[in-house]
Amino acid sequence: MANAASAPIDIDTPPAALEGLRVLDLSGAMGNYCGKMFADMGADVILVEPPRGTRLRFEPPFLGDVAGSERSLAYAYHNTSKRGVTLNLDTTDGQHLLRKLVATADLVIETEKPGVMQARGLGYKALSDIRPGVVVVSITPFGQSGPYAQYESEDLIGLALGGLLYLGGYPDAAPTRVYGNQAYLCASIYGAVGALLAVLEAESSGTGQHVDVSMQECVVLALENAVQFYDLEGTVRKRYTGEQRFAGTGSFECKDGYVYLMAGGIGANMFWARSVDWLSDEKIPGVERLRGEEWTKVDFLKSNEAKQYFREMFVPWSKTKTKAYLYHEGQRRHIPIAAINAPVDLLDNKQLQHRKHFVEVMHHLRDKPMVMPGAPYKLSETPWCIQRPAPRLGEHNAEIYAECGVNSADLQRLASAGVV
Amino acid sequence: MEKALLAGVRVIDFSWIGAGSYATKILADLGADVIKIESSTRLDSLRMAAPYKDGKPGVNRSGYFADRNTSKRSVTINMKHPRAFGLIKQLIMQSDIVANNFTPGVMDKFGLGYPAVRAMKPEIIYLAMSMQGAEGPERGYLGYGANIIALTALQHLTGLPGREPAGTGTNYPDHVPNPCHAAFAVLAALRHRRRKGKGQYIDLAQVEPTVALLGPTMLDLTVNGRNHECNGNEHPWAAPHGVYPCAGDDRWIAITAMSDAHWTALMATLGTPAWSAEPRWETIAGRYRDRVELDLLLGGVTGKWQAEILMNELQARHVPAGVVSTAEDVIKHDPQLAHRGHWVRLQHAEMGEAIYNAPPFRFSRTRVGLKSPAPLLGEHTREVCAELLGLNDQDVDELIAQEVLK
Repeated sequence: MANAASAPIDIDTPPAALEGLRVLDLSGAMGNYCGKMFADMGADVILVEPPRGTRLRFEPPFLGDVAGSERSLAYAYHNTSKRGVTLNLDTTDGQHLLRKLVATADLVIETEKPGVMQARGLGYKALSDIRPGVVVVSITPFGQSGPYAQYESEDLIGLALGGLLYLGGYPDAAPTRVYGNQAYLCASIYGAVGALLAVLEAESSGTGQHVDVSMQECVVLALENAVQFYDLEGTVRKRYTGEQRFAGTGSFECKDGYVYLMAGGIGANMFWARSVDWLSDEKIPGVERLRGEEWTKVDFLKSNEAKQYFREMFVPWSKTKTKAYLYHEGQRRHIPIAAINAPVDLLDNKQLQHRKHFVEVMHHLRDKPMVMPGAPYKLSETPWCIQRPAPRLGEHNAEIYAECGVNSADLQRLASAGVV
Repeated sequence: MEKALLAGVRVIDFSWIGAGSYATKILADLGADVIKIESSTRLDSLRMAAPYKDGKPGVNRSGYFADRNTSKRSVTINMKHPRAFGLIKQLIMQSDIVANNFTPGVMDKFGLGYPAVRAMKPEIIYLAMSMQGAEGPERGYLGYGANIIALTALQHLTGLPGREPAGTGTNYPDHVPNPCHAAFAVLAALRHRRRKGKGQYIDLAQVEPTVALLGPTMLDLTVNGRNHECNGNEHPWAAPHGVYPCAGDDRWIAITAMSDAHWTALMATLGTPAWSAEPRWETIAGRYRDRVELDLLLGGVTGKWQAEILMNELQARHVPAGVVSTAEDVIKHDPQLAHRGHWVRLQHAEMGEAIYNAPPFRFSRTRVGLKSPAPLLGEHTREVCAELLGLNDQDVDELIAQEVLK
């Protein structure tokens, strides 16, 4: 488990891939994960929040289900490894202080509506005048210009206009969105890739640039082959939950939930024979028909007849087996089958436990650490590592503003003026 | 013109099908020289997955394959042939990154596991993207994005209560979570190598990035003991927040009223229906409490509207709203994606003009553009053999005759 208490840095600590980079994270829900990616890989990421706190502080879930600016678990997760300052960017003094911070920054992450940063005198051009090497990544719903640039958005709107919402859900109900702010997160992680590309280039050329990320476009990249189906075959892909995509490919009920089976794989059919052998070993009545020549043809696998036959043969048996049995036995036979896990199943998962995926992170309002998802990748030389818990509101004001030459008397004046 | 962001970076790419190919597509579209190692003896099975140009199957006709493999070069080498290893080794010696998304063990069988590759070239960055990672009891398990979304709990969390879990209807982890995390890790490793001269091994278990995107939900479980279940299009506190029918066949609009101002403007746009005067709708708390009933009432009045007109009317009053776009809509009718030049049409030798996704970001100073459409199977075998292996046409003919280059 990662030790994320604020212990002094051990001299044996491995190097971090992004050490020496300073990042100002001015963003909210659409960009905080982007900042986390930099921070957990060793960059010095400073979360710059309005004096009352960033919007994510007011989003559930809350510690103990009690709302409060220090209690949001969404905030706590998306801001690990960062330091934090408060700053009112709508005041002249606040803008002045941000310029001082930018003078030492390699990357600024912002998610304001297009035009807002310019109106504050903090647009890309102004910031690059202070520090030519700085990269600014602007993550917005639709991008910096264009007919929708000023449109309002939430996660659900991004999923809708990005086309992913239409593909999700049941044919007999309204399209159903993917859970968990995935449009925001797609924007955040593509934003991180774009930002790091520009930072690497700036480190060699000495010149930064403005990276313009559109959440809508990021969601469009998740449409799989729906766009190509329309372009090449003129067909519009629709939502199909409850139906098999091909016979043997889909969700199937079992004793304690569901499994997702892809008996035929994608475009490959070595899995089909293995699947049939398995079901044959299990002595399921009617399985031998699956060995017929027609089951190697995509058109037949897409037919209602094939799908219905497979379901009527498979489900009476699968309903007598647990998802764990089906998962492990199918996988033992190298068949692509998975348990449809609930969150609680992940904590018991032997593979994630073996990989020490979940990590412990302290929270100042708890006496024991919180357990949260950990490394999304394991790098042998520069491992992912949580440096510290998410900052309390204004936690690092004194230390960071002192670096900018603000003395404690000035800081007090700025605080009483509502700037910090 | 400024040079491409990843100009001078070379990738020897063994990845196939979904997430691996999409990860190296990001690198290729940004200027890296990605050499896709393929073989007609063991096809990237996506080459044989629909849709096909004009519906006709063929190894060079799949749009599913094409979009994931833009800007790459394809070399066919039969890795099972004893002479393949020497050729691959020479390619690796001239490269920066080796990528694969096989289950653990496959690359070792080729003599190309990380220890072997590191021994040939210590500064190599080695990206391995198996489903479950390099070690652990389930390391040999395999699957596609649709299996991975099931394992991560994202599928369980998506859908309507009491019904079969819906998921995204796609192999979602393949398309954004895994490729983006992989690309970020590779770029971070490139930076480390530039600064310290050291390569490294990246073990990306394709289950883990999507789990990492569920942090708040997992914390609600580990801290508060709450096991989330799916809840359709509901928001944790705002209502109305959902998808409502519009005029036409299977047309819908997404509307999210996050404040009283949004609610007032929404009702004004819809002509202030009589039911909206009830006091219980005046506060977010009231709207949220009776959200199921509210959704039905709202759906009763949106149905007369064309989705796009209603979106524009609502947006003019600053209410978050968006057409639930189909694939046809995003290609043909969305003015914003058109403005950004998202869709790129490239001439492909067998498919003719076909559509491709551009990366979702624009750089103010460096141009990003797809270099080329997806390669034909083995299209660049001769070119790469000449350029990087110093082989002339006669050498290549011989290797083809011996079924090494196949």
